[in-house]
Amino acid sequence: MSLFRIFGYFMGEAVVSLWRSWKVSLLAILTIAMSIFIGGTFLLLSGNLSRVVENWRQEAKIIVYLHSQSTPTEIERVRSLAAEADWVTAVEEVSGSQASSRFRETFPSVQDLLKSWEDEPLPASLELSFLPVPEGQGGFDTWLASLRQDPAVIMVDDDRDWLHQLDAFIAILRGLGAVVGAALLGAAVVTIASVIRLTAYLYRDEIAVMRLVGATELYIRGPFFFEGLIQGFLGGAVALLGLFSVFLGLNPKSSTVLLGTVLVDRFLPWQAILAMLGVATLAGCLGAILSLRRESLASD
Amino acid sequence: MIQFLGVSKKFAGGTAALREVSFKLEKGDFSFLRGASGAGKSTLLKLIYREIEPTSGQILVNGRNVSSIPRKKVPYLRRTIGVVFQDFRLISRRTIFENISYLPQILGMGIQERKRLAYQTLRRVGLAHRMNSFPQQLSGGEQQRVAIARALINQPEILIADEPTGNLDPDLSWEIMRLFVEINGKGTTVLLATHEPSYVRAIGGRVLSLDRGRLVGDKKIERQSRLLTDDSIDGELSSMETDTSSGEQSS
Repeated sequence: MSLFRIFGYFMGEAVVSLWRSWKVSLLAILTIAMSIFIGGTFLLLSGNLSRVVENWRQEAKIIVYLHSQSTPTEIERVRSLAAEADWVTAVEEVSGSQASSRFRETFPSVQDLLKSWEDEPLPASLELSFLPVPEGQGGFDTWLASLRQDPAVIMVDDDRDWLHQLDAFIAILRGLGAVVGAALLGAAVVTIASVIRLTAYLYRDEIAVMRLVGATELYIRGPFFFEGLIQGFLGGAVALLGLFSVFLGLNPKSSTVLLGTVLVDRFLPWQAILAMLGVATLAGCLGAILSLRRESLASD
Repeated sequence: MIQFLGVSKKFAGGTAALREVSFKLEKGDFSFLRGASGAGKSTLLKLIYREIEPTSGQILVNGRNVSSIPRKKVPYLRRTIGVVFQDFRLISRRTIFENISYLPQILGMGIQERKRLAYQTLRRVGLAHRMNSFPQQLSGGEQQRVAIARALINQPEILIADEPTGNLDPDLSWEIMRLFVEINGKGTTVLLATHEPSYVRAIGGRVLSLDRGRLVGDKKIERQSRLLTDDSIDGELSSMETDTSSGEQSS
């Protein structure tokens, strides 16, 4: 029997079986869709958040705040210390008055706060732009410490500190997504296995006849494998459609929800979509294997 | 064609279904397997198509030791043996065509080829016009004829039947027995389990008798002289049927 014909038979029988027991099949499809949807939601959020963090990382700066009494010589010393590092691409000096005007532009509603302060409430600073530095690269931390210890420096604000915190948050988000998704996927596999076992039970008379007339185990089990594959694939497709609908609802192009502007800027890349469909399909296949390796198809 | 060599079968719990059974059936034989319920008839038949395996002894089918056939190759053995059951085992949600076309489909035949083969086989059992019906639309006798068609569709060399008339009334039973005789007349080896002595008297042939798992009788009964030609079988069996019916009534 040609491979094409046998696959056609498996597919045809699987579709008929799905149609005949559509209620339990729908349950299996929705279970797997739920697990993929939740896993996909975490993936979508963490992916967009990662992209935002990466953009922020590109714009990250190290701001060296200077004492108001610092002399030009001291400022020049700090500037030289900052500029000597290979990773520093630019050093911009921001005077106290420039900092105040930036504050007023950025936070116009609270600009009155500055009036109650002295003439120059915000300190002068040096804003250092730098190339991404790999974690743990020798010299960077020493260089940063030497800046912090300079007597002309009040404090050094490193954007990377809170970017690190965001990275940790993303990692937790992904881990949580993986754990929740895996747990739900496990449940989906068990559901699919149960549905296929039930289907096999409903078809036990036909299976007995097929065995009797000389059908091979592959021929008997093939349609059930395909049924699992189809359930998994449909579950994955339903999940992706649901996820895309939510994305469209929250996306900044169609929504003004703040969440949309940050967390759902872009949909999942095609690789992730294919991977999710693949995982769902494999989960269906695994469910079928789990159900068929037991005695559900044993001869009567 | 079929040979049992000291075959015993014990089920879990130690129940001995068959004990040291030995016999040999030749190609083209029409053989009856007789015995009361629980004598081991069904067990013996199941051993032939290896639904179960013997505890000891050897079973040869077409010269091949059935027990030594790898599990994956068992389907190929079964394709050479047609099996008919008392309860027909037809699938109610499938049409008659679908019910008898399992094996051609398994063998990879296309739909047209399957239809042609199904038509030819159903014509052989007189049901070509019911190809698109469902089993529940047929009488018991017709359902059994469909089951026989399913067993015959691949032209097996051996046809075994386990109480094929057990669920049928006498009229339909004789109709089915006539069909088995016709099939045997075309060269198929038939082994038929029954506890109905009238068939044996009418048709004749090899008679293997089982009693509590032991082969207690193996004799050949000649078909009555009036039944020498296939053409006369129908009429003669009909007269036997009448005799049996009247006998049953008198008893």
